[in-house]
Amino acid sequence: MSMEDYDFLFKIVLIGNAGVGKTCLVRRFTQGLFPPGQGATIGVDFMIKTVEINGEKVKLQIWDTAGQERFRSITQSYYRSANALILTYDITCEESFRCLPEWLREIEQYASNKVITVLVGNKIDLAERREVSQQRAEEFSEAQDMYYLETSAKESDNVEKLFLDLACRLISEARQNTLVNNVSSPLPGEGKSISYLTCCNFN
Amino acid sequence: MDNRLPTEFDVVVIGTGLPESILAAACSRSGQRVLHLDSRSYYGGNWASFSFSGLLSWLKEYQQNSDIGEESTAAWQDMIHETEEGITLRKKDETIQHTEVFCYASQDMDGNIEETDDLQKNPSWVASSTLIKPLDSACLSEEMHSLYVSSNEVPAKGTPENNGEVTDIAETLVKEEYCGYKTYKHRVSDGAKDEIKPILEDNSDPPKRNRITYSQIVEEGRRFNIDLVSKLLYSQGLLIDLLIKSNVSRYAEFKNVTRILAFREGKVEQVPCSRADVFNSKELTMVEKRMLMKFLTFCLDYEQHPDEYQAFTQCSFSEYLKTKKLTPSLQHFVLHSIAMMSESSCTTIEGLKATKNFLQCLGKFGNTPFLFPLYGQGEIPQCFCRMCAVFGGIYCLRHKVQCLVVDKESGRCKAIIDHLGQRINAKYFIVEDSYLSEETCSNVQYEQISRAVLITDQSILKTDSDQQISILIVPPVEPGACAVRVTELCSSTMTCMKDTCLVHLTCSSSKTAREDLESVVKKLFTPYAETEIDKEELAKPRLLWALYFNMRDSSGVSRSSYNGLPSNVYVCTGPDCGLGNEHAVKQAETLFKEIFPSEEFCPPPPNPEDVFFDGDDKQPEPLGANTIIIAQLESSEGSKNLESSEKHLQN
Repeated sequence: MSMEDYDFLFKIVLIGNAGVGKTCLVRRFTQGLFPPGQGATIGVDFMIKTVEINGEKVKLQIWDTAGQERFRSITQSYYRSANALILTYDITCEESFRCLPEWLREIEQYASNKVITVLVGNKIDLAERREVSQQRAEEFSEAQDMYYLETSAKESDNVEKLFLDLACRLISEARQNTLVNNVSSPLPGEGKSISYLTCCNFN
Repeated sequence: MDNRLPTEFDVVVIGTGLPESILAAACSRSGQRVLHLDSRSYYGGNWASFSFSGLLSWLKEYQQNSDIGEESTAAWQDMIHETEEGITLRKKDETIQHTEVFCYASQDMDGNIEETDDLQKNPSWVASSTLIKPLDSACLSEEMHSLYVSSNEVPAKGTPENNGEVTDIAETLVKEEYCGYKTYKHRVSDGAKDEIKPILEDNSDPPKRNRITYSQIVEEGRRFNIDLVSKLLYSQGLLIDLLIKSNVSRYAEFKNVTRILAFREGKVEQVPCSRADVFNSKELTMVEKRMLMKFLTFCLDYEQHPDEYQAFTQCSFSEYLKTKKLTPSLQHFVLHSIAMMSESSCTTIEGLKATKNFLQCLGKFGNTPFLFPLYGQGEIPQCFCRMCAVFGGIYCLRHKVQCLVVDKESGRCKAIIDHLGQRINAKYFIVEDSYLSEETCSNVQYEQISRAVLITDQSILKTDSDQQISILIVPPVEPGACAVRVTELCSSTMTCMKDTCLVHLTCSSSKTAREDLESVVKKLFTPYAETEIDKEELAKPRLLWALYFNMRDSSGVSRSSYNGLPSNVYVCTGPDCGLGNEHAVKQAETLFKEIFPSEEFCPPPPNPEDVFFDGDDKQPEPLGANTIIIAQLESSEGSKNLESSEKHLQN
């Protein structure tokens, strides 16, 4: 397998209350599965899916919370170096919507300034139990300058669209920044991952 | 979603410092059901890093902490059965003392700082730039002190006004940010000073000395990640090995420390330590270069040449160095900056061993043997916590534990009772020692660490790049005293705002942190002030803000000195004073082997890219060793590319 089989690689991080369907969204997108009533995903750090957009291979590395959101104990390091955040709530759960400002505060504190945030209302297959109207969510996302989408991981509604649109935006943003930004001062996140660095000893 | 904690676990871990977090990850990785708790609202305990406002709240918490008396035990007493007894845990943390804050940066609050050339003519500016102790720190430290001496007494005078002051300032300033404060620039042109400032580099664009105000520090507060313990990772050290082996390294990024500095005869110099450094050094003469290279090459395999040092095994390393035809400055470099040993106590063998270790770590990742984690040391425990969570560990911050429940007959701990009165059962309990009650610790003697955190306006050794990460050992003035370790971080480590440096000073305490460290601070820095600037003072970096505190060092405490702890309760210590993280890693591994002798310690996890699910949603299949090697290669390749895409995205 070639190591360089893609043109872009982006880290996408999911956040939102427990039980809103974050893992289901990732599973649906990366594996086409909808596992009903599944528990926490043991041993899986992030999922990978490579998509092709306008002839370019984009590798998406999608990170889940590993259950740390359940008791509001997400590590700050989880947010570091994310290119995009998917902030998810459950349209049938008012509480998960009311918690959004709290999540936004965490984003503001720990995520990069340049991070793209998408608001996702999941579980539209349960429309008859809807507690959060589309209009309210639209108003909220507009006020916060977020892109907004409603999805159903179960019916696979808008799931592809969510990730593909996001990938498009990430590419165009990456492009813009390369154009504007010549090589200059050190950038955040330019640190190295230690397993990558090579050896060259004294002598 | 049920928000109550589950009640059945294999291992309950209390405290999220580095050793506890490594242990939690190791237990979870080996299939144990782990509950990991911390009574604080943040990860890391005394290993944490804070934003500027976070640090101010941390300080405030320590003060408010002092007002809380020990509550009665009645709350949990009736939940204990007849066959059981309870061991109370401590409610307040007493590991931090003698906190003192000094603000030197201008605290101009009326927001009239604009991009203008004649700020110096503004009289209010000059007036406000004299030394200010905004927190009434003298009073504060006295209180902390009295608390320390008689820790059961609630201080007579509550000082809510004082306590609130710092954050109030912060809040006011933050509010100002939203009132059209944004237009002002960091680089305030300051012609008058540029003329007298020695310009070290030959640059057509003369560097400007930046004026950073307190309000800017507050406004840019989230750019800071201020470590409570200042440590570095030895590139051949145990922590690096563990991070790579366990793949936890994928959660963090690192930068190489770029310079080793020495302080000699009142001057800061760069220590040449790699072969390239030695040859490129402008300070060393040709003869010195040859001498140093010869000596360092010998140190790399000194065991092979016993005749070279055998006669000196009874001598101190510094005496031995005198016989090696090294000039005084080279002797200083080798003793203090490379071996990092004290003059009086280090034997020849110890010195040679330390020098060899330094040289072996050199060049693995870069020009010095040390790495620093981006966003601060506080990231590291969190990375292990993430690993624990990925393997099913349950996390809950802000969760206090009232007591351990011990079965009288077996003498084993069987449960904890949390602050909600809920009983949580487990087989093993790992407790960070600051949670243990005074009664449990009555026979324990502690050491102390003296710490200072400084925000300064430029590096202690200016070069053409302002993005340096430096370590400096300042030898003690009086023999027998402790050397002070100084670590200077630049903004690209993501631990401080642009145009500032974050400086950490550490030594083992003999007095309060300020008494131990202030003399070194004065040697290296000058307080920020507009008046009475002479040339020499101006060459030094200016102090914008300073914090001193003492942290308890329990690293030398043996398990047997605690009273009445059941055998299945394991104790982790707080941070030690050393530069590396070897103590914490060793401790975690030792305890893990004690609890689970047959389990492997933090083996590599399967690579997410190699995990396949079938339709039945089975657990990932175990992967062979070959797959894992490939996995490691791939993930490292991934992070490289992640970096490059990030470079496009940011800025």
